[in-house]
Amino acid sequence: MAEPILSVRGLDVAFTGSGRSVPAVRGIDFDVHANEVLGIVGESGSGKSVTSLAITGLLPATARVSGSIRLGGVEITTADRETLRRMRGNDVGMIFQDPTTTLNPVLPIGRQVIEGQVAHGRIGSAAAAGRAIDLLREVEIPDPAARAGQFPHQFSGGMRQRAVIAMAMSGQPRLIIADEPTTALDVTVQAQVLSVLARRQAESGAAVILITHDLGVIAEVAHRVAVMYGGRIVETGRVEEIFARPRHPYTIGLLRSLPRIDGAEERLVPISGQPPAPARMPSGCAFHPRCPIGRDRPICAAEAPALVAVGAEGHASACHFAAEAETADTSARRPEPRPLTPEGAAKPAAEPPLLRVDDLRVHFPIRAGLLRRQVGTVRAVDGVSLDLRAGETLGLVGESGCGKTTTARAIMGLLRATGGSVAFDGQDITNLPRADMRRVRRNMQYIFQDPYASLNPVRTVGDIVAEPLHIHGLFDQMGGEKRIAELFELVGLSRTMLDRFPSEFSGGQRQRIGIARALALQPRLLILDEPVAALDVSIQAQVINLLQDLQRELRLAYLFVAHDLSVVRHISDRVAVMYLGRIVEESAKTDLYERPTHPYTQSLLSAVPVPDPASRSRRKRIVLQGDIPSPARPPSGCAFHPRCFRATEICARERPAFVAQPGGTTRSACHHAGPLDASILAGAAR
Amino acid sequence: MTGYIVRRLLQLLPVLLLASLGIWAMIYAVPGGPVASIVGENANPEQIREVTQRLGLDRPVLVQYWAWLTSALTGDLGASLHAREPVLHLIMQRVPATLQLGFCATLVGLLLGIPVAIASAIWPGSWIDRTLSGWSALALGVPTFWLGILLILLFSVELRWLPSASAYVSFFDSPLQALRNTAMPALTLGTYVSGIFARFLRASLLSELKADYVRTARSKGLPERDVVGRHVMRNALLPFVTIVGLMLANFIGGTVVTEAVFTYPGLGRLLIQAIGSRDYPLIQGCILFILVIYVLMNLLVDVLYAYIDPRIEYR
Amino acid sequence: MTARRMQRRIETAKRLFSHPGALLSGAFLLLTLLLAFLAPWVLPIDPLLQDVSASLEPPSARYWFGADELGRDLLARVIYGARTSLITAAGAVAIAACIGIPIGLVAGFFGGWRDAVLMRIIDVLLALPGILFAMAMIAVLGRSQLAALVAVGITGVPSFARITRAQVLSLRQRDFVLAVEALGGSSAYTMFKTVLPNSWSPILVQVVVLSSVAILLEAALSFLGVGIPPPTPSWGDLLRTGKSFLYEAPTYAVLPGIALTLTILSLDTLGRTLATVLEDRREIAGASSEGSGR
Repeated sequence: MAEPILSVRGLDVAFTGSGRSVPAVRGIDFDVHANEVLGIVGESGSGKSVTSLAITGLLPATARVSGSIRLGGVEITTADRETLRRMRGNDVGMIFQDPTTTLNPVLPIGRQVIEGQVAHGRIGSAAAAGRAIDLLREVEIPDPAARAGQFPHQFSGGMRQRAVIAMAMSGQPRLIIADEPTTALDVTVQAQVLSVLARRQAESGAAVILITHDLGVIAEVAHRVAVMYGGRIVETGRVEEIFARPRHPYTIGLLRSLPRIDGAEERLVPISGQPPAPARMPSGCAFHPRCPIGRDRPICAAEAPALVAVGAEGHASACHFAAEAETADTSARRPEPRPLTPEGAAKPAAEPPLLRVDDLRVHFPIRAGLLRRQVGTVRAVDGVSLDLRAGETLGLVGESGCGKTTTARAIMGLLRATGGSVAFDGQDITNLPRADMRRVRRNMQYIFQDPYASLNPVRTVGDIVAEPLHIHGLFDQMGGEKRIAELFELVGLSRTMLDRFPSEFSGGQRQRIGIARALALQPRLLILDEPVAALDVSIQAQVINLLQDLQRELRLAYLFVAHDLSVVRHISDRVAVMYLGRIVEESAKTDLYERPTHPYTQSLLSAVPVPDPASRSRRKRIVLQGDIPSPARPPSGCAFHPRCFRATEICARERPAFVAQPGGTTRSACHHAGPLDASILAGAAR
Repeated sequence: MTGYIVRRLLQLLPVLLLASLGIWAMIYAVPGGPVASIVGENANPEQIREVTQRLGLDRPVLVQYWAWLTSALTGDLGASLHAREPVLHLIMQRVPATLQLGFCATLVGLLLGIPVAIASAIWPGSWIDRTLSGWSALALGVPTFWLGILLILLFSVELRWLPSASAYVSFFDSPLQALRNTAMPALTLGTYVSGIFARFLRASLLSELKADYVRTARSKGLPERDVVGRHVMRNALLPFVTIVGLMLANFIGGTVVTEAVFTYPGLGRLLIQAIGSRDYPLIQGCILFILVIYVLMNLLVDVLYAYIDPRIEYR
Repeated sequence: MTARRMQRRIETAKRLFSHPGALLSGAFLLLTLLLAFLAPWVLPIDPLLQDVSASLEPPSARYWFGADELGRDLLARVIYGARTSLITAAGAVAIAACIGIPIGLVAGFFGGWRDAVLMRIIDVLLALPGILFAMAMIAVLGRSQLAALVAVGITGVPSFARITRAQVLSLRQRDFVLAVEALGGSSAYTMFKTVLPNSWSPILVQVVVLSSVAILLEAALSFLGVGIPPPTPSWGDLLRTGKSFLYEAPTYAVLPGIALTLTILSLDTLGRTLATVLEDRREIAGASSEGSGR
């Protein structure tokens, strides 16, 4: 085998900033070869990003690095600043997570793309401008000559990230490190960026390290995988091997806790407990406190296992009981003890819907000028209708800016509806006065996305959960302190935690506290706004299971708002897809995922990376062009038509009606609704 | 752009109107009202009647304000009670002195403040940073009037290099004499301003240095000099320009204390003298003048900021 | 539960005074405070007793700081001056906070026309440099300690109003405030039980910072001869008189200045350290929130 481009041996990184040494990376080895994509996957705190910064020598001064990193034969850990600087941009290019902050807001894009090369003296400043335009063209920026002179705020998120790719590629480096390159992007934009990245990688033959928490992205793009946990690589191997025959209990757990878009209906099997904080790393194998195999075995708590070869060539696992891990199926997925409502089947009229939303509109005026006159309207929600019955889950999905959160907040009465109506249990609650709305809120509650932001930091969690009871003057009536303790146990928390502050809890625990608060008043409807989006995969499964258990026990109705199509498929009975303030398609879950009729749904579903490398070659992907338009200036006719592969002349002229499609439960709003035609796929896919 | 300026001007209108109303009403709040302020509190009824009629104080209040405002707009700020001269004339005599002091002090502040800020931001937490941060704390904490006294003690009483009372000599007439007279007040005020500049610029440099784009710039292999010089400085200097502009605006009236220490004949001294002699038309005139200039300078700073920051579109 | 809250406060205080600068500043301020308010009972000195024979005497065993032009003990006048300074500053900050915080709270919380009107009023207060505004007010109110206190207080209103408003505006966007609204909390409940308790940190820092500004401003006004009228001893007035005797008694203008400068520096140091400590506390809470790091 050829000499690897990057070779890492025994890498240790510790941070000494807080007075004592906190290990972040604890002895890892790996190689990356030319023309290869190595995926490094791990949850927060696993040390994956620190590894990437160590390779480029960009760690802060408080980091202590030992071990060896050789890039193209040059040792990096001992290199002086000037060598490191020359290496960056020439030998290594980096792509970072959030394209809104990785570009300098006050310099033109073109200059930022090429300035590294100018600084390295590899291109004269006269030729630089032209080269920058070429680089932007290579990453499919339309009208690159004009765009090169623009500033980052004039670019959309996807375009910015493509410009960052152009920047990383500008010196034709042999190694590219992409650290969560698509995490901040919408799924259709992620598809664009990943396809550009893959194409440029193939064209240049560079080695790529792709760091991500998203197993789907790994399965889609990587050739080899390294799974990190607690600062170590716990398993590594070819991507097909890792996904088909994982040999480390953590990898197995991770794959089991992941909701799948391709259909599996079983209950998720979460990994118990929390990922370890670097400052409090467990002894021995860092995973042992959470491990179904090693939890009670003394050797796992005493001795850190080495990474040893197992099975196929290149496959290695750091587990004392790797053989057992493969066969032990201690906690196989149980089938979901559901559904409560026969899936998809329209309930007979006997039971009226709990929530009925009819033609809801929420418009925000754009004001400008001295007199704050209205010069335009943001049509955040523009005619949304939906029904929700008791005990049922309706998933509301869409990309950022589609109006799903606005819809949820307007239903909750947190925003004023501009038009249409919301009825709860037969009573019209649209824009009720505050006092009347209060009574309704006993029965419907809201759960927020960010569990860190939704709990009042200066109150104890006991106070926070009791707050709704106090607000409604029901604290004593509903059982006082005893009720609070019950709620804590209901969501799986200990009552001894009542007098702690939110900052003392992890993300998953905080989300449980948010759920306990929402349940305090015994509501019948929960509106969940991205409730698991901020959580690590293993924790996400715990919260999803909790939500499903609570729904069954308390016969709750859920309006589940999310961007993650896999999670939505897992938890919902019915699903509605939103685009630019409207529902474009709504159906029973299986119909929508198996037989989508709207081109947008079809593109969305095809863009989701599936954590199954085996299906990679079989799947065809529709890569949508362009970005989501602003809801302040929605396109005429069908709002999707400028990006649609089926659009004809009528689509720009006439807004399609939302109508039932033949042969199923589906309703969609498209002039050309229908199953995906293979020929279209062939044309659109790259 | 023009539209933006016009709109900002119109936004300032209510502020200016309200403030001018306050300044005009000042005189009515004085014990004894405007008449007593002119004739004194022990005047006989005839004097009072005479002054009341002469000043039109028997007219409705709003009419009086309108008359005062319209004449102020044409530059007629009335006459000083003591100097018997038009107020505007007295003010304009003092403006060049104040401007010269303000510019010199800002210059001193920039020369002292910017290097201090950059040095301490590049090595945060180091002994250099701690020393320099101590310097800016001192520059801000030592009252200008006390610092002025110390400088006089050193340069005038002990060394006898500089005059303890500064006169106004224009730089254009006699640069050397101007320097002798302006050096101490400018140094006093400049030291204080350098503290503000250093602290603000250090903070904004530090927060910019933490920004993601700095990591990006380093990952391209830019030398640290370019990372700081091209990327960080440009972002940090944008808000800094605002601070410098506001400081200049502040100096139109804010050099009062320094002028008092060095008996420097600027606008501030005029105002103190006016307050001391209860010369109300002069007080009103000075304050109104300073107010208008201050507000206009603020506007100018806003416009300048919108002009240099590519992110702001003046629609 | 209150025990835990108390514990948090004690921890914050401990962290604050673990910085040597803050500890030193705190000690100096405490000493100044004790001296200033206990002086009549514990110290055998009188700031008003004249002894013409000792006029402008340099520092000596009898007059540690020397004597002024009327032969009064300068040390006594500096200590009693501290009393004047501290009372004026405390009163001024109280006025500024009592007017500024409600303005900021209402403007930020309700927005709309209330915000527009209140902020225009604040703009008017800001349309002049602080010292000129105070001078103009004293020109109207006449020269007295109360006038100085009120004038300095009013100039501090905008900073409280703006800081509170900014804090409220950022809190209004936060989910936990929205959550209280979703639970059915009334405006008053949200404002006083949720928003205000989360706003104290920056306000507290502002109290300390503004105290130093108020002491400086009061001294400047007295130095200009428009602040606190004699014979009440005040630091600004001591410097003003001392400046007339620079050749005869140089220590006259130097020593009171040291007291004034140290007080201002101490408050400034305390304020800035407090700001970093509170910021760190927030960042520690926030650092664990990066745990979910997406």
